[in-house]
This record gives sequence, structure tokens and C-alpha cells, in this order.
Amino acid sequence: MSASLEKGINVLKEQVDSTVAAFFSSCVHCGMCTDACLFYTETGDPSKTPILKAEPLRRIWKSEYTLSGRIAKLFGLGKKVDEKLLTDWETLVYDSCTLCGRCSMVCPVGNDITLLIRKTREGMAAAGHAPEGLIAATKRSVTIGSPMGVKLPALQAQIRHVEKDTGLTIPVDVEGADYMLLLSSMEIMHFPEFIGAVAKIFNKAGVTWTLSSEAFEATNSGIQIGVSDIAAELVQRTVDAAEKLKVKTVISPECGHAYMAIRWDGPNLVGKSFNFKVRHILEVLDELRQQGRLKTSSMDTQKLTYHDPCQISRRGGVINEPRNLIGMFAENFVEMSDRGKMNWCCGAGGGVSSNERADEIRLKVFQRKKDQLDEIKPDAIISACSNCRLHLEEGLEEYGMDIPLLSLTEILAEHLED
Amino acid sequence: MTDIPEGKDETLGDVLRQRGISRRSFLKFCATTASMMALPPSMIPTIAHALERAKKPSVIWLSFQECTGCTESLTRAHSVTIENLIFDSISLDYHHTLQAASGHAAEEARMAAMEENYGKYLLVVDGSIPLGNPGYSTIAGISNYDMLMETAKGAAAIISVGTCAAYGGIPHAKPNPTGAVSVGEIIKDKPIINVPGCPPIPVVITGVLTHFLTFGTIPELDHIGRPKVFYGQSIHDRCYRRTFYDKGQFAETFDDEGARKGWCLYKLGCKGPTTYNACATTKWNNGTSFPIESGHPCLGCSEPEFWDGGGFYKALSMPTEDISKTVIYTAAGAVAAGVAIGAIQKGRKNSAVASHSKTTIDDLEK
Repeated sequence: MSASLEKGINVLKEQVDSTVAAFFSSCVHCGMCTDACLFYTETGDPSKTPILKAEPLRRIWKSEYTLSGRIAKLFGLGKKVDEKLLTDWETLVYDSCTLCGRCSMVCPVGNDITLLIRKTREGMAAAGHAPEGLIAATKRSVTIGSPMGVKLPALQAQIRHVEKDTGLTIPVDVEGADYMLLLSSMEIMHFPEFIGAVAKIFNKAGVTWTLSSEAFEATNSGIQIGVSDIAAELVQRTVDAAEKLKVKTVISPECGHAYMAIRWDGPNLVGKSFNFKVRHILEVLDELRQQGRLKTSSMDTQKLTYHDPCQISRRGGVINEPRNLIGMFAENFVEMSDRGKMNWCCGAGGGVSSNERADEIRLKVFQRKKDQLDEIKPDAIISACSNCRLHLEEGLEEYGMDIPLLSLTEILAEHLED
Repeated sequence: MTDIPEGKDETLGDVLRQRGISRRSFLKFCATTASMMALPPSMIPTIAHALERAKKPSVIWLSFQECTGCTESLTRAHSVTIENLIFDSISLDYHHTLQAASGHAAEEARMAAMEENYGKYLLVVDGSIPLGNPGYSTIAGISNYDMLMETAKGAAAIISVGTCAAYGGIPHAKPNPTGAVSVGEIIKDKPIINVPGCPPIPVVITGVLTHFLTFGTIPELDHIGRPKVFYGQSIHDRCYRRTFYDKGQFAETFDDEGARKGWCLYKLGCKGPTTYNACATTKWNNGTSFPIESGHPCLGCSEPEFWDGGGFYKALSMPTEDISKTVIYTAAGAVAAGVAIGAIQKGRKNSAVASHSKTTIDDLEK
């Protein structure tokens, strides 16, 4: 109960580095990021301009680290960061941004605007301006080990179901395995078929793998809420488990921000490089495909399309792998108009789905995805992020559309050669 | 070319007919001039009509610190062209090189022309004016400065022909021993048209004259007094070797493969990108070619300070002077300032980091 404005301001000061200074000083106020943001295109509200969302951080940079700003501050001038500003900005920073990164792609001066918003969240959280839903999820992550409150017995129960369905053993805590698979709570609770699919594929390909009973959760609420201290603590759990089981590679599952958290932010958060590799499940599967260890025997004649999860495609660079894999079984694959690194976010990433206050706006901005889907009218949508999947399902229902959602890993397993 | 008293009342039309120029060729010239000067086709009859009836305008040509290259350029035509005839048709009342009269008679011709056409004659100047010591250049015992001031007083307009008259040119180049300046730096109360170039393209002069005869005004000028129609585009933009520049294909020496293939001369010092002139389109020697077409980089002769603009064979992106010391001192200063500011900034940030208390889940709410 110790969040305070003072703490928030101090954290924002900490967040300013040469990158932040370079970004803010090179912004030419062209407004190109505005049209790249689905929260603007679907609402027409100019306050949703991406760079504006980082205003609290910009004010701190200006008043603390620039000459003109310091002089203005000396005379009591300049724009201040106060409770009112943070209250006003709460919904912009947390509800109207999924950290999808599309704005960073279009910035003509190359500013990573998403990073600025992510850093702004650090100060917001420390000042006590994070949304309730995210705070609760973060607490559960730290105390229980999962943002959804999934405990080990729940996972063990699901494993038993999967083992019964597939007839395969799901390895847990196997030392020296090549791969350690992480899971998102959503997969454990909503899509346990994913575990079975991985087991089937790895069994066929002859891969040794394991789950860890101590660190099975892939998601990282610390990243979403914007508290690096907590994010680091959660990453450390995975690192400890991977080191304990002496695995060569940790696999991030079908979850967007989990991949970003463990692969790209992870080493920076814990302050050292990992002694294991981190790969996304699609990267691992595509590697097996290249090695000829994956063979499909049946084709899918449905009109299929692929929804790129932002953190996996745009921020993560895993763009060709899913298409290579889809090519193994899809006869009628169609792309959406904006895809790959320029895809449109589903509207619920970056912690927006854990934030009940944002329910209305996330369904409103789903219109963007709906328009994209209306253009190509697919029979089914494949994706590789449980969060995208859940929100797409919800959005489609809201807009009265009947298109099933498929997990790439699961559908690939279905088409595997027997 | 010299003053022919009985021809004074003849119109341009009369002269052209006497010289056997057909109406068709005359109209063709008018059309060419109109298109060159970016005038609408509807202006062609207007030009023709005006030129037909134009009384031979009196022109006084003063040559100061110059090399006569401009006169050479303007009079050297391999075949008789209408451009030449237009020249022949003006009443060139005073021109050192071209007039037959000499000594007192020559100066008297100038005084007479000034008196007779006061307020109406055109003054053409080539060469710069020495202000350091008037004795550096005098004509009939009169300093260039005095002669310019005296002659400019009754002129309708002044045409500064060549880079020397327009911007000071080579006499103005460092260290400028004579204190040479351009016409524009002395005369402030008359319309001045700069026709720079070393030498300038003849057709530009006739174009300006035609415009003056047709409309009684001077054409639109750019920020440094040059007619926009001729100096509106850079050599680079109109260069036929531009495609090689865009593709990054450059001649590195004058005898390499690239030079033989006719690639871009940028790296050999071509000033095309910063030079505004019509060479690439009107070309020289009756449309034969222009320097780049002959394999030599543009020198940038129609630009102010062209002689001091760095070596002719130094690429534009290279510094023009020996600035190594300045660079070192500036860099050293900047580094010192950067370190100092960086230290202050670092201090601010460090104190923020130092006062960081680890955020836990208990710190997320107020």
C-alpha cells in the first residue's frame, strides 16, 4: 500500500536513458503513428495518438534532462507530472494500448514508441495508477505462480486428462531433456489440447522434452503492468528451473507477451545472459520441419488464414515459420491485407484482456480485425497465441461472425503422418 | 554592329527582312523563345508583334575587370542565327571590343547615347568593379566605379553578364587583391538581371532581351537575381548521367571503366547538384554538347563564389578548406561539454536509481 506519486516520478526518472532522450528529441510531431494505431482508427479519438500516451515520461525527460526544461522548472514553468495527469493517462496507457508495436513500425524517425509507452507504465504502476485487474493478476502471478491462479495440482489434473486422451506420457521434471516447455495459464485451463499436440509432435519427431513443476507458467504480468522488479522475479523462476533441469532450450508456448518476456526482455531483466536457448514453439516446429522430422499426411481444404500475434510476429520476428508450417497442410491459405510485421492487433494484448475496465474498448476496436476478415471471408483462423485466440473468439461472437479459431500447433498435430 | 545613325529608326522587323530572314523562321524563333521562357503558346503572336515593331533599343556595354570571354561567347556563332541577328539589331552604341571608334570618339558615343536615350537604354556590364583601389582598372582615365555610376543613372535596366559582373567572379576570388565586387553590390536603385556563367549561355541574353522588348519588363528572377526560366533547375536534375548517380554508378578516375562507360562524375568533383543553369538543356556550340557530355565535371561557374567553392575535382561532400584543426578543437570542445553534461545527467539518473526501492506486489496500490 505504498505506491505514491513521488515513487512514480522517481521511477520515470530512472526510465530515461539515451534511447528515451533520443526518441523524444527526434519526434517531429508528424502524427503518422496515429493512423497506425487501431485505438485511433476505430474510435477517431486523437487522444489515442501513440506518442501522446508517453506524455508523463516525456514531461519527466523534458523537465529533468533538458536545459530548456530545467530552466522552465526553475521558474516554476513547464508541464508537471501530477496525480491529475496520471489519472487522466491511466486509460490511455493501459486500456488503449496493447503494446502491439505497430506505431513503432511507421515512425519516420525510427522511434520505438511502444518502448516509450512500456516505460511510462513503469512510472504509472509505481504511482499506483495501474488498473485493478492487472494488479490482481500480478499479485496472483507472484503469490500463486500464475495470473489466473492456476496451481500445480490443476496442471497435474490436466496432464492426466491429456495422457488418457493421447496415450502418451507427459514428461515432468525430466533432467537433461533437450527442451523445457512453458505453458500459459490459458492453455492449461482453456486449451489443454495444446499439451497433447506438443506431446504428439515431439513423440513423432523423437524430441526429448519436459515440463517443470516449479516453473511451468510462461506469462509474465510484470511485463504487462510495467514493473521490471516483478518481471525479473518471474523470469528468474524460469531461469532457475531451466538450470536445475539442465535443459538446452526453453520453449515459449502459444502466447505473445510470454515470448517477448522470456526471450527478449528476460536476460536484460535478470541482468545476465542465459545458459540455455529460448525459442518459440513455432520456431522449434519449423526447425523440425527443415530437418525432415515432421511429415504431414492429410491436407486441409478449408480457406484458412493466419492471425499474426504482435509479440511473436512484429516484435518477435517469427513470421515465416508459421507460414512454412501452414504450407504443410493447407491447400487454400489466404493472407489478410495487413499481415506479418504490419498485422493489426486483435485488441486485447499487453494486459488489456486482464483489465475489465477495457472490455468495452477492446471489443470496439475489434472492428479493425472484423474488416480484415470480411475482406477475405476465411473458413477458419489459425493463430499462435491463446490470448489472441480467446479475444478473437469473443470479438467474432460480439459481431455475430461464425469463424472457428485454431491453434497452429494443434492443427499441425492433427495432420501429422501416423 | 557599330553605331549606324541612319538605321536608328528601323524596327527589328525591318532589319530581319533586310537580312533575308523568312517570316517562318522568325515565328519559329518567337515560338522557341516563348517555350524556353515557359510562356504560354498564346504569347507567340505577342512576341512576334512586339519584336516586329520594336525600335532598335540602345544598348551600352561596359567592360570592367573581365577577360572578354563573355563577349566571345555571345558573338561566337558558327552559323548566322536569329539570336545573332537580334544582337545585330540592337543599337550597340558602346562596346570596347566591338566598336570601331576609339579614344575620345568612343567616349563621346557613350555620352551621346546616354543623352539621347536617357531613362530608356539598356546597360550591359561584364566584369567586376575594383573598390580596393580605383586605379586597378580605368577606361579613358575614368575608374570603373565612376563610369558605372554615371552610366547606370539613365539606364532602364542593367544586365550583369557573366559571373564577374553578377557575383564578382574570378577577380573576387580569395584573396581578392583588387577588392572586386559585383554590379549588384554597388547599384541598388535599378532592376538588375544577373546572367552568370563563365561564360554565360548566349541564348539566355537574347531571351532576356526578347522579354524586355516584348513586355517592357524583366523576367521573373530567383533569389540571386537570375532569370528563373534559365536558372530554375540544377544541372544535376537535368543531367543525362543522372540515372547513374541514382544507381550509385560513379567514375572514380578520368580513365577508369566507369569514366569510359559514361557514369556519373560526382566523385570527380562535379558541381552539378549545386549549380543552377541551362547547360544540360540548351547546351553549347549550337546545341552540340555541354561539359559533362564531354566527360568533364561541371565547375559550377554560374554560382556565386564558384572559384572559392573548393577544388574543381573534389567531390561536393568533401570539406572545401583545411578544417582539420577546427574540427579537432570543436570535437574536443564538444566531447568535453558532452562529458560534463553527461556526468550531470548521469548524476540525476543515478540519484533516481539510488532512491529506487524495489517495487513488490504490495506497492501497486496506494
